[in-house]
Amino acid sequence: MEFDLKTIEALAPDQASLSAASKLTKRSNWPRLERNEQQALIWGECQGSGSNPYRVVVDTGDHGYKCTCPSRKFPCKHTLALMWIAATAPASFAAAESSPEWVNDWLGRRRKTTPPPAQPIAGAAAKSIDDAARTDESAAVEDVAAVERREAAQRKRAEDTRQAVSAALDELDQWIADQLRLGLSGFVDGSSDRCRRIAARLVDMKATALAGRIDEIPSRLMALRSEERPDAAIRELGKLVLLAKAWRAAPDDPELKRLVSTSETREQVLASPDARQVESFWEVLGEKIESRRDGLVSHSTWLLDLKSTTPQFAVLLDYFPASAGRRSNAFAPGDRFDARLVFYPARKPLRALVAERMGDVMSGAWPDFSLGATKDPLAGHASYQDAAPWITDCPLLLPPGAILVDDRGTGWWQAAGDPQGIALPIAGAVNQTLLGLDLAATAALWDGARLDLLAAQSGFGRLDLS
Amino acid sequence: MRDCWITGGATFDLAPTAWKTIAGGASPDEQERRLLAIAAQALDVALRPAAPKTLRRRPPLPRLALPMLPERLRPLLRAALKHAADARRKTRVVTLVASRGFVLHPMDWMPIASDQNSPDVYAPWIDWQASVDGERHAPQEKLTAENWDEFYPAARRIALADMRRSEPASARMLVEAKASGEPAEVRLALVELMRFGLNPEDAPFLKSLSADRSGKVRELAGRLLARLGEHGRSNDGGPGDPAAELAAFISEGKSGFIRRRSIYTPAKLKSPAQEKRRAELFETCNLVDLAARFSATEPEFIGAWQFGADNNADILIARMVAASGSDVAVTHMADALVADGGKPALFVLLTPRLDSRRKRALVRLILKEANYLNAINLAEGIDAGWLEWDDLSNGSALAALRSAVAGNDDAMRRGADDILETIGFLATATTAAKLIDEVVAAGMPPAAPSLGVLRLNAALAEYQSRTDT
Repeated sequence: MEFDLKTIEALAPDQASLSAASKLTKRSNWPRLERNEQQALIWGECQGSGSNPYRVVVDTGDHGYKCTCPSRKFPCKHTLALMWIAATAPASFAAAESSPEWVNDWLGRRRKTTPPPAQPIAGAAAKSIDDAARTDESAAVEDVAAVERREAAQRKRAEDTRQAVSAALDELDQWIADQLRLGLSGFVDGSSDRCRRIAARLVDMKATALAGRIDEIPSRLMALRSEERPDAAIRELGKLVLLAKAWRAAPDDPELKRLVSTSETREQVLASPDARQVESFWEVLGEKIESRRDGLVSHSTWLLDLKSTTPQFAVLLDYFPASAGRRSNAFAPGDRFDARLVFYPARKPLRALVAERMGDVMSGAWPDFSLGATKDPLAGHASYQDAAPWITDCPLLLPPGAILVDDRGTGWWQAAGDPQGIALPIAGAVNQTLLGLDLAATAALWDGARLDLLAAQSGFGRLDLS
Repeated sequence: MRDCWITGGATFDLAPTAWKTIAGGASPDEQERRLLAIAAQALDVALRPAAPKTLRRRPPLPRLALPMLPERLRPLLRAALKHAADARRKTRVVTLVASRGFVLHPMDWMPIASDQNSPDVYAPWIDWQASVDGERHAPQEKLTAENWDEFYPAARRIALADMRRSEPASARMLVEAKASGEPAEVRLALVELMRFGLNPEDAPFLKSLSADRSGKVRELAGRLLARLGEHGRSNDGGPGDPAAELAAFISEGKSGFIRRRSIYTPAKLKSPAQEKRRAELFETCNLVDLAARFSATEPEFIGAWQFGADNNADILIARMVAASGSDVAVTHMADALVADGGKPALFVLLTPRLDSRRKRALVRLILKEANYLNAINLAEGIDAGWLEWDDLSNGSALAALRSAVAGNDDAMRRGADDILETIGFLATATTAAKLIDEVVAAGMPPAAPSLGVLRLNAALAEYQSRTDT
């Protein structure tokens, strides 16, 4: 290891980064720390504020680095923390014979340059690693009165937000009634402008999450054929009505609060007594990365519980600004790992956080969930809708079937041995090879109109379809 | 209710009684919202998408004769395929894997219906693709004059190429019977297939094509005839005879003291216009006609050609031999070049017509010389996985690669990347593993994408030895 604290101090963009990095040097923040001396590399996974861990790799030779976090500081606190651990506790790194694929990807892409000067740059004098290390210990002790004042202010803010959101939902109700009066045909045609306007109002009135959802309605409608759009508009607006009603009935319900205004922080979820915890083997089914109209990119990683007797799913959901550029994925489809997941409290918990990761698991076929006995492939969807009718995308594990095409070239999933049975239309173009494969089980998201394929098991093994 | 909402207006009176009970007793706006919520839920849960009656299933993808590449090696394979810039290089990766006894996962790579270069083991998939692209083609059916029109051109070409390999005469008769009815482009493609299993029995048909409407077809037939040693044109020696015109660009001399023998040297050219004309003539004339102008056989003419006197003329004659020379002429020239111990650049031009032993000799020659190391990328149709470490380390290729990798010249490094990719295909697993170590020691990042094929090659052997034990 060729790190000393002086180098880290020189590389750090500012004092704040150093202070933040010092808090991340605890071993518990790093489920994985590995090194390969032959390649002069150290890498690790740091559990940051997102659902997915951040992946950090540092070239100890020329101090090149890469982190998957969306920070605009270079190097970010995770990179600094990894270097810091390498400097102070090199024994924390397990020796690895070969580097993982994401490290190889980075190595393949990067251009080796001559080692950058690790000398202090302008403003470096203002940074001190000793100060950063001290910050942790010198946390100010607040007096009781100050704590009370802070809590009172928090309560007031919560009450203000609740009132603002309540007013926002009144406005939303009126807007929906207006759309019905003016006709859904006009709504479908002008959905882009109309949704943008009401979404902007909702943001002003602190119903941020709901605004984001309404902003996405136009693109969801446009993904369908024109004759399907009115039905889809009924579904989208009807679900908004249900969500607004549910929130009014229980404004403090964490699930509804998350869907209407803002989400809990990672720490709040981990501390919540209502949050279900599941320790199991998980397989990454696939990822969905979508650019949203509000300038954020939503990155969802869908997981399948491999120890459960019925199909159980989890989704790790992160948002980051589109301006941060393309992020490397934290997991690759097909990865399997042993982990304890904490689910955000909900009627049908799906969104989760990785609380603790124990290690990787060998790949193989999915467990037999006795899917062949399922009469209705959409039964899972119906059960989600019964519990939480505002959910739009439900994960499903479909029984044995195949992909067929219609005259327009659209792909349809259909259950095996049931040519007269129901068929589900597939979103997007279908890989032609898939049309010749029998699918023993298919994982997909169903949004009421289209099936978004994630992965499948077939005679040719696991198929990555996301 | 749906239609009413689409056009705009109140739907309460149209709602089912049960819905009215839930939605009633509120303001008109609220009633509509409640009905909308119920309708949304009904659409989501109670209704199912109606499947069109015309859903079609494709036949199941056939299993291939070799086992699938182990899951563990698929990331390496995908990296190698991703780095392979074009279809030819991708096919090389596929060939390498097949040479080690594995086939690829169909979601990683599929041959296209008109594929003629991928390993034979993929034939069932190519047929499957052809049946997907051309519904009229029944995979088991043999192409005949009667069902000719039921095949799409691509499927027909595949069937004909296969037939040329197994029953060349029947295939020729089919082309003879059907080609005249096809447009010039298709006709050209059909006649082109005659190169598979070309034999003297094809000569009468090829001669009959000298009256074809298309100039390109006439030219192609002439070249194929020339390969059979047949003169394509009458040797009248008149001013219109291109072979005579070309012969004027070549001067005949004598050499040797005791046994005087003929030598042929390209004449000195006076202008770029002459150079251009000479190039055109080399393109259009056949070797057999040119040799006849000097009353020599093709091998005699090649044997007496003075290589090295004019590099451009050397390239032109090598192209001519590759295009129209008989098999004997091609091997004669290849052997002469090897015996001379040089000119791999010319040798490369002959590769499409060489047998595998001579192709290997060519690769060894290129690696030994190292002056034309890039020529290795042009060599086509070579076997996978045979290049030993000695072949690489005996010459100056390894040193050249090491210095290119260690240097700062971007163009040189890109050149080295291409060569490493090609060697990745040619090398044995041991050679591949050693070469990775060498270039990494020279400064290449261990995970560089250009090492992808080499890594796959080395890993394939590791896997094999692991399963053997």
